[in-house]
Amino acid sequence: MATDQRTGDWYGTDEAVSRLRGQAFKSLCLGATLLALVSVFVLLLYVANDAFRPLSADIGWLLTFAASLLLPTLGATGYYYTRDARAGETAAIALGLPVVSLLLTGGVFITLEHIVTVYQWASIVVALAIAAAVVFAHGRVRTSADLERFIVLVAVPIAALVLIPDLILSLPMLPTEALALLGSVVVPVAVVVGWFVRRQRENDRDGAIAAGLTLVVAAAGLGLAPVVGLSPFVWMLLVVVTAVPVGLYVESVVRRGAGTAGLAFPVLVAGGVIVGVVVTEALGFAGPNSWLDWGFLTDPPSRTPEDAGFYPPLVGSVMMLLVIVVSAFPVGVGAAVYLEEYAPDRGWWGRLVDLIEVNIGNLAGVPSVVYGVLGLALFIRQGGLGSGTALVGGFTVSLLILPIVIISSQEAISAVPDSMREASYGMGATRWQTVRNVVLPEALPGIMTGNILAMGRAIGETAPLLIIGAPAVVRIAPDSFTSKFSAMPRQIYTWSSEIDAAFQHGVLAAGVMTLLVVLLLMNGAAIIIRNKYQRRD
Amino acid sequence: MTDTEMGRSGRSVSRRKVLATTGAVGALSLAGCTENTGNGGDNERVIVTGSSTVFPVSDTLAEAFMAENDGVNVTTDSTGTGGGFSNNFCPGDSDINGASRPIQDAEVESCNENGVEPIEFQIGADAVTMAVHNDSPIDCVSYDELAQIWSEDGAEMWSDVNSDWPDEEIERYGPPSTSGTFDWFRNNVIGDNGSHVTQYEKTENDNELVQGISSSENAIGYFGYAYYRENEDELKALEIKESEDDECTAPSLDAASEGTYPMARPLYIYVSQESLDRDPVYNFVEFYIEQSSTDTITDVGYVPANDEQVESNLEKLESATN
Repeated sequence: MATDQRTGDWYGTDEAVSRLRGQAFKSLCLGATLLALVSVFVLLLYVANDAFRPLSADIGWLLTFAASLLLPTLGATGYYYTRDARAGETAAIALGLPVVSLLLTGGVFITLEHIVTVYQWASIVVALAIAAAVVFAHGRVRTSADLERFIVLVAVPIAALVLIPDLILSLPMLPTEALALLGSVVVPVAVVVGWFVRRQRENDRDGAIAAGLTLVVAAAGLGLAPVVGLSPFVWMLLVVVTAVPVGLYVESVVRRGAGTAGLAFPVLVAGGVIVGVVVTEALGFAGPNSWLDWGFLTDPPSRTPEDAGFYPPLVGSVMMLLVIVVSAFPVGVGAAVYLEEYAPDRGWWGRLVDLIEVNIGNLAGVPSVVYGVLGLALFIRQGGLGSGTALVGGFTVSLLILPIVIISSQEAISAVPDSMREASYGMGATRWQTVRNVVLPEALPGIMTGNILAMGRAIGETAPLLIIGAPAVVRIAPDSFTSKFSAMPRQIYTWSSEIDAAFQHGVLAAGVMTLLVVLLLMNGAAIIIRNKYQRRD
Repeated sequence: MTDTEMGRSGRSVSRRKVLATTGAVGALSLAGCTENTGNGGDNERVIVTGSSTVFPVSDTLAEAFMAENDGVNVTTDSTGTGGGFSNNFCPGDSDINGASRPIQDAEVESCNENGVEPIEFQIGADAVTMAVHNDSPIDCVSYDELAQIWSEDGAEMWSDVNSDWPDEEIERYGPPSTSGTFDWFRNNVIGDNGSHVTQYEKTENDNELVQGISSSENAIGYFGYAYYRENEDELKALEIKESEDDECTAPSLDAASEGTYPMARPLYIYVSQESLDRDPVYNFVEFYIEQSSTDTITDVGYVPANDEQVESNLEKLESATN
C-alpha cells in the first residue's frame, strides 16, 4: 500500500524492459511441446510403416490411391477447415461414426459368437420383459405399498433371470438363430429407434415409420443377405449396430440443416477407396504386402509370421472388458456417489473421508504389477478361481482402474452445480429423488467419459495379465469366462520375444496398430461425449 | 416454459433408459457368466508352461497338434523353468512344464505336497551359445576362461583373463537367475567352487541379449542357439573347448548332437501323472515325443532327440498310465 503512494509514475517508462527472459522461456516451452509431439509422431509413423509396409506396393498403386483418395480428402479437409467449420465437424463424425459402429458390430458379433449365444440372449430378453410386466402390473394393483413394491422390484427380475432362461433353453423346439436374433435384438432396437425419433420430431407417425423401417430392413436380410454373400445373422447385426446409428445421425444433421456439406466427406472417402481398388485391379498394380490385413484380425496366432493372427486375443480383450464393465463400474460409480453426495464432510468422520479420498488418489498411482500380485493372491490363491482366466484378469484389472473410475466419477458428480440440488430440495424432493432425478442424469455424460478413458487404460494393461498367468499363446478363442484367455497386449508381449525377427518387426507392429486404433477410437468416443455435454451448458 | 419442461423430462427419461440398459447389459453378462461355466471345456484343455527355451518347441508342436485335433485347446506359456514349477506346475495349474534343466529335489517335494507327480521326458537338446561382438578379437574360449569371466570376484578386464585380449572392461549379458539356462551354466561351466557373477545385464528376453551384445565391442553373453542362428550376421559365436587340450568347436546342431560341442544341454518336459489320465494330455505328450526326433525340432533351432530316447520315452509314457 505504501509503495503505491511512493511510485509517482510507471516503472520502466524511462528505459526499455528486457524481454529476453520472457522470449527465452516461451521458446523453451515451444521446444518442449514440439519435442513431445514429434517424438510420439515419429514413433507412430515407424510402427505404422512396419505394420502396413506401404513402400512394398507398386508405384502405380501408390499414385492411384494418392490421386483417388489422398488428394480429394486433403482438398475437402482444407475446404472444411477454412470455409465451413461446422461442416468439418459433421464430416469428422460422419466418417468416424460408421467406423466406430462397424467396430462395435464386430464386438457384438464376438460377444454373440463366443460369450452369450443368441438363444441365451433371447431367453434373457424374454425373462426381463416378463419381469417388467410383473413389476408394472404390481405397481398398478398395489399403488401405495412402498416396501412391497421395492421388494418386488428387486426380487422379480432376479427370480425371472434365474428361472426363465433355463426353462426356455430346455424347450425341445427353438426358432432358427436368425429369427431369435430378429426377436431379441432387432425388435427392441426398432422400438428404441421409434421412441427416439418420435421424441426428436414430436411426431407419432415419424416414430412408427422409423421403427418399421428398421424392422423391415433387418428382416429383409432373411431373403437378401444370401444374395450378397452374407449370413442373415451378420446382415441383421450390420443393420442394427451400424446402419441404425449412422441413419439416425444423418437424419439429425439433415433435420438441423447445419453443416450438411460434411455428409459428403465419408462418401468421398468411400468413393476414393472404391475407385482406387477398381483402377489398381484393372491395371494390375500390386498393393502393399501389409502385415495388418483381414486375415490378421480373424486368424489365431501361429509360429509362421505370415499366418499369425490376433483373433483369440481380441476376443479375450472383449471378454475382459465385459467383466470390467460389470464389476468395476457399478462399484466405482457407487463409491463416487456415496463420497460426493452422502459422506459426512465435517467433524471426525469428515476427516476420515478426506483421508480415504486422498488415499484413493494414491491408489491410482500404484504400479500395475502390484495389482497383478494382489489379483494373484486374492482371486487365484485365496478365491480359488482358475489362473489366467478372463474372470480373474477382468477382476484384477478392475481393481487397477477402480481408483480412476471413482475419481473421474467424483469429478463429474461434483461438477453438477449446487443450485440444481438446492432447487430440487426446494421443490420438496428427498435426497434420493435429488440424486436419482437431478444429480445422476446431469453427471452421467461426465461419468461415462471417465469410465471410457479408464477402459482405455484397462485394455492396454500387460503386467497384471502376466502375473495372473494369462498364457503366452491361446489358439482357440475362449468360450467362457473360466477358460484360459489371452489379451491384446499379452500377445504383443509374446511376439516381442519370438526368435524369428519377422515377428518383432512386422507382426508385433500390426498388433500394436490394432490396439492403438481401438484405444484411439475409445478415447475419441469419450471426447465426443464430453464435447456434446459441455455445449449444453 | 412448457417446452423446456418437456425437453427436460424427455432428457431425464433418456438417461433413465441408459441406466436401465446398462443394468440389463450387466445382468446379461452375469447371467452369461454363470451359464457358460459348465460346458466341459476343461477336459479338452492342455496347459503348457515353463522354460522360455523349450517354449518355441512346445508352441510349434501345439500348433501342429491342434491342426490335427479339432477342439483340443493347447495353451502355451513361457514362465521360465523355475517359475513354471513353483507358480504353475506344482500348484496343479498346468499339465506340462518345459524345463531347460532337470527338476530339483525341492521342486519335486513341493509338487508332491500338492499331489502332483512329475514325469520326466527328455525331448532334445540345446547348444548354449557364448556370443561376442562381431569385431571382438576373441575366437575361442575354454571352460576355465569362461569361469573367470562369469564368476563373482572373477576378471574385470578382458586382459585379466588372457593377456592377448584387449585391455577393456568386460560387459556381460545373460539370463536372470530364474532361468534354467543360468542354472545349467552355473553348475556345468563355472562349477561348484564358484558362484555366478551378479552384476550383469539380465533379461529373460533373448532378443534383448542379442541387441545388447551386438551394440558393444566389449560385450559377451550367452543364450540358446536358436536366437544365435536367427542373428548370425549381427554377432560372433565363440568356439568352445572344455579344457586347454581339447579342440575348439563352434556351436552347431550337428556338433551338439555328436557330442563334440561341450556346451550342449538336454531339454525336458515334465508331465503331471494325474493329467496323463485325460486323453488330450496323453495324446499331446505322445505326439510331442514322436515329433521330438524329427526336423520340426531342427527347424526351430534345437537338437532333436535320438531314436533310443524316443523309444524309452514312449515306454515310460505307457507305463505311467498303467
